[in-house]
Order: sequence, then structure tokens, then C-alpha cells
Amino acid sequence: MSPREVTGEAAGEVRHLVPDVETLARRLSDVDYLVDEGLATSMFLSLRLPQPLLLEGEAGVGKTEAAKALAQVLDTPLIRLQCYEGIDAAEALYEWNYPRQLLSIRLADAGPTKLEEADLFGPDYLIRRPLLRALEHPGPRPAVLLIDEIDRADDDFEAFLLELLAEASVTIPELGTVRATHPPAIVLTSNRTRDLHDAVKRRCLYQWIDYPTRQREVEIVRRRVKGASETLAVQVADAVARMRDSDIQKPPGIAEAIDWVAALGLLGVEQLDAEAVELTLGSVLKYSEDQDVVRAASLEQLVGSGE
Amino acid sequence: MSDAHRTGETFTVRTLELDLPALVGALSRRLHESGLPVTPERAAHFAQALTLVKPITRRRLYWTARAVFVSDSAQVPAFDAVFFSVFGRRSERDEFEPEDVRTVASPPDERPCSEHRTSPRAGEQELGAGLSSSQGDQDDERREVEIPVAMASDEERLRRKSFDALEADELAQLYRLMSRIELATPVRRTRRRKRGRRGEHVDLRATLRTSLRTAGDPIRLARRRRRIVPRRLVLLCDISGSMEPYARAYLQFLTCAAGSAQSAEVFVFATRLTRLTRALHSRHPERAIQRAAATAPDWSSGTRIGDALKAFNDRHGRRGMARGAVIVILSDGWERGDPELVGREMDRLARLAHRIVWVNPRVSASGFSVQAGGMVAALPHVDALVSGHSLEALGEVIDAIGAESWESPEAPSPPPSADDDDEEPWPSATPVPGSSVAMPSGYGPSRGNTTPGWGGR
Repeated sequence: MSPREVTGEAAGEVRHLVPDVETLARRLSDVDYLVDEGLATSMFLSLRLPQPLLLEGEAGVGKTEAAKALAQVLDTPLIRLQCYEGIDAAEALYEWNYPRQLLSIRLADAGPTKLEEADLFGPDYLIRRPLLRALEHPGPRPAVLLIDEIDRADDDFEAFLLELLAEASVTIPELGTVRATHPPAIVLTSNRTRDLHDAVKRRCLYQWIDYPTRQREVEIVRRRVKGASETLAVQVADAVARMRDSDIQKPPGIAEAIDWVAALGLLGVEQLDAEAVELTLGSVLKYSEDQDVVRAASLEQLVGSGE
Repeated sequence: MSDAHRTGETFTVRTLELDLPALVGALSRRLHESGLPVTPERAAHFAQALTLVKPITRRRLYWTARAVFVSDSAQVPAFDAVFFSVFGRRSERDEFEPEDVRTVASPPDERPCSEHRTSPRAGEQELGAGLSSSQGDQDDERREVEIPVAMASDEERLRRKSFDALEADELAQLYRLMSRIELATPVRRTRRRKRGRRGEHVDLRATLRTSLRTAGDPIRLARRRRRIVPRRLVLLCDISGSMEPYARAYLQFLTCAAGSAQSAEVFVFATRLTRLTRALHSRHPERAIQRAAATAPDWSSGTRIGDALKAFNDRHGRRGMARGAVIVILSDGWERGDPELVGREMDRLARLAHRIVWVNPRVSASGFSVQAGGMVAALPHVDALVSGHSLEALGEVIDAIGAESWESPEAPSPPPSADDDDEEPWPSATPVPGSSVAMPSGYGPSRGNTTPGWGGR
């Protein structure tokens, strides 16, 4: 039914690995990525339909990590394309190896071998960029292709991606259409600096990742920072939750919470108090205005030790 | 049905298959009716998804449907409403507040009609007609047909007339005049390149191609250069009571802007910020403005400039929308909240934006001085302050938007109390009209040098 037909082998492998949502959630948890039901369902559908998955959410809630965890679960390479303004086909898909082509021309001039133009534009002279590498992944399980921060690329680039997203194929003028034998599991992330085209959204499943609940955040932090004590993780989760509720420009994400616990751990802090916060505030709040806001509201209150 | 779901183990796939087409069809239709972009393709995906995910709980069903049907977090409330109306009570999950105003699912609006009737303003008549019922809409279109093309003298008169003194038919005429306006923002260089004979980068691909023509010797080097694109334009429009007559004209102006400049973003605010970019993307400006009023529930109530700026910075500006953009703020600066907040948020905005133009129609009034608290606080961060109170004065606005900022590195310093009664009580950063936008010089790293980036075709 889906246009991105999957060969029996690849589909079978994936079906075997993730027969249902619960299994996927458990496997993700095994690689220390904890998901709620919404994200688990989306990821499951994205693998099994299959359809690309578009993840949005505040910075540092684990959008990129989701793709990494998925690659670990599938035990396949994660192929990452970081988008930026001005990215084009030569940087995302393929480029011809010009020095090598020139060299071959010279060699052909000198020696007896005859060189056709078609030879020059063959697979030997192709430099494979992330998208092409993901399509040519030999299997048996699909590679995970992460197209990170797609909103940073200009909108022409989105149009360029449509064929890839819908058909798992790309067209190279000199070579023809390259169709994936094992269509990659595609994860796109966006920070919503601009609206994506409807055409892109139409081809994707969509999931908004929110900040986790307190318990889950404690669990995530403890999984990520080995040896972090339960009390410290709970205190940090509480403090970070208070920061998110207060009036600051850049609320800390899970990534910041993890960094913070790691920093506190290095300093040998076991109990979060105002002094420890003061020393390590820079690992969780990255704007001086935000630090001022938190300080003004008193650090004691932040760590929950009275007024 | 939910009984069947709760039994879990005994729930069989067979039952589901019997249910499936009806369920999918009904849910898709209701979602579509409530404004979600549901296509048959999506409905098919949903059916397929249901066979993969056995919806043993309502929760599972919810997440499955949401993953397939929702393509933007702004659509979540509309989706939730439909889902919970079909499948029963709302469960514990209400933490998913959308962070944008829902522009998708707003019902057709009847409200502004009555609200504007009560408005004591002179411009009331055309407001009702332009805004409210479908009948008013028809009226408006008919009137537009009847009006002959404006005579030159009419146009001349209209050009000088302040926006708040316009009659209904004049407004329609004004719209037509405005539709000729095109906005041009200053340009910037992108990382994307295009071919250019004198570009700074060698284009290996093209060089090799042409070298085949000369027996493999690269005699001519093909070059590329950085492409130049106009900067993004962001318009923040105050639609509170004091600004209402201008807001109407400016929304028209914004419609033109959103149409002509590729990357214009439009927001309106009074007590809260509403994004209008989507609503204005239609071919009928009147209808777009009508829709704007529907999506901006605080049309003509009090102003909270600081909060609106903060909301813009937090939700959009910081993420990248304001970065390197030209920001145009239309407001009289009468702040109900804390002026200090206005100052702080303007400071943040100024650090992100390429240039900030503040349009304040009150500037044109004789004896004007900066007294409005919000205006005083904002002024140090503003690159240009212009009046833009009439069509003629819009020229200033357009020039201010198009100005290159290095021609005026200093922001105008706020005079303690400007008591001139000129059109512009202090020097704004407006340069000579048309000076910089059309001129190719100035793209190099330093002005005056030969600019390598320019030339060729």
C-alpha cells in the first residue's frame, strides 16, 4: 500500500525485531532511550509502515537521540545529514571525484587505454554523500538516516528531498535513478525556525516531543550518567522543572539536565544545595539573563530547601 | 466498542477488521471537517497503521491516530477535540498545550461583527462590512466592482489622507493602490552558490565538463559565486483599540508584503501574539483580513507590547526567525504592562535582528513627543522610527525597510522631549530613497574596494 515498498527480506528482519510497540519500547529502553507511548507508537509505525518520521520539540528533548537509539536497536549504521543553509545536492547526495577524473584523462592520453565519457561518470568516480550512502546500504536491516535540523536548510532543499522521502530513491542525471534495495528508516528533526512545506509533512509521520515527566527524567538522567545517585537525580529533575516553569528565555532540556548531573558528579556533589548550583549553573543555563532570573528567585528555593 | 477494547486478550483481530473501514472513514471525515488536512492517502495510512498496531487501549488508538493525522503541533487541540468527542472522555493527558495559536481549526467567526458595531469609531461601517458576515463579504465585493478606476486627483488626495480618516470606498481604493507596492528588504549573501563568470570559487564540475570540449585541457575555469537573497521580513502589528484604524490599513499592507516578499512573516498582537502568515496567504486580501480578525481574538482590546515581544522572541525569534531579519513593528507604543519589559525584549530582539523599523502613526501629529512608556523604552533599540500614517508616508516605511544598516550604524538616540512639530521630530535612520537596494556596491567585505562578488551576469 505504501509507495516505499520493502523487499521481503528487509521487512522480515524489521518485523522480527519489532513485532509490536511494547517490544520496540523495551528495546529502546535497553539502549537507554526511554520513550513514552506516543513516541513509541510513532517510531513503531515509522519502521513498519514504513514512513519517514518528523520529530519536533524544544531543543534538548532528545530528537537526535531518538534516531541514534533507533540505529542501535536495529543494529545498523546511523547515517547523519546535518542540514545548514545552502546545503545542496553536491553535499547531501553525491559529487563527482573531479581530481580522479582528470587523472584518468591524463592516464588515458599517455597510455594505450581508451577512455569513454561514460567511464568517467561511473560508480568509480562517484563520491557518495550521506543520502546516497543510506540508499545504498546493503542490508539486511535498513540503515537509519537522520536528516537533522531540516529547518536550517533552505526550502528548495526540502523539495529536493521529496523523492527520497516518498519513494526511497533519488535520480542522478548521469546514472539514472538509484532505488534503495533496503529503504532506510528516515528520521527528520526540526526546531521550527520556519514552517516546513506541507509536501514534506504529508509524506511523514509527525511527533512532537515534550519535556518528560519528572519520574521519567530522573530515570533518563540516571541511565545516562553512570553512578549518579538517586537523590541527586531527583533534586536535579526538580530544579530543572522549576526552571522550566520560571520566566527564562531558554528552558533547559533533558540534555542540560544530564550535563548538569555529570558536572555535579565530577565535583563530587552528592546533595544539591545553593552553593553547588552557583558553581555549576553554567552547565544548565546558557544565558546570563536566565542565570540572573534564577538567582533573583533565590537558589535555595530552586533546590527546594526552604525560602 | 470500548468494552471490547478493555477485555484485551479476548479482543480479536476479526472484530477490528469488521470495524475498520467505518471507523477510519468516520474519524477521517470528522477530522477533515474540523480543519485538519486529512487526505484519502492519510486515511489509508491510518487503516494500515491500525492493522500493525493493535489498538487494545484507547490510549494506543489515540497515539496511532495522532501520529498519522497530525502534522503540526498546532493541530493537536483540534485533533484532541475530535478524538475525544468520538471516543469518549478526555483522559489524564492535557499537558500537550499547543504553543502556537491554532490557525488551522478556528471556526468561522461571527464575533467581530457585534464587537465592532459597539465601537464608537468613525471607521466602524467599513469595519463591519470588511470583516464579519458572509453578507458583508458579498457587499464588499460588489462595491469593489462598481467603483471606477481612481482618477489621478482622487489618488492624490488619498495619498495624503490619514488612514484613520478613510471612508469605506476610499479604503477599497486604497487597497488597490497598495497592491502595487512591493517591499524589498536588504540583501544578504547565502552559502548557496550559482554560476558567475567572475565568482570567487572555481566550479570543478563545470570546468571539467567544458574541458572535455578542449581535449581534456581545462582552458577555461568555470566559476561560481555566492547567491544573494533578500533578508526575511517580519512584521509585528499592533491591533489594539488605539491602533485599529491603522491596523486595518496595515494588514492590507502586510498582505501585499506577504505576497511580494518571499519570506515575510506576519504577526498581530494586542494582549497576545497571533501568527498570521498563513492566514494572509490567499489571493483575496479582504478575506485574509477577515480571517485575521477571526484568528486574533483580541482585536481592539488593550495593548501588552512587552508580553507580545517576549512571546515572539521566545517562540519564534530565538529559534531563528528574527536572526538577520528586518523587523517592522507597527504600534503607538502605549504599553499597558511594564515598559521595562518592552525595553528588555527590544534589546533581545535587536541583538537577533538585522534591523528594526518602528512605525508609529502618532509621529506625524503636530506636537508629538515620545511619551508613551513603551515607546521610550523601545527607542534605543530601534534603527528607524517613521510615521507611515498615510499612503504617501508609506514611502518612508518602504525606504526604512530597504535601507542597509551600515549606512546608519548608530541608532537614533531618544531626545528627552522632542518638541519640534515636524513630520519627523528627530533624525530617523532613513537614507535617501532607493539608495542602497538597487546598488550593487557594498557586498564586498569592505566598501570602496572592488567587490569580487558582484559582476558577471
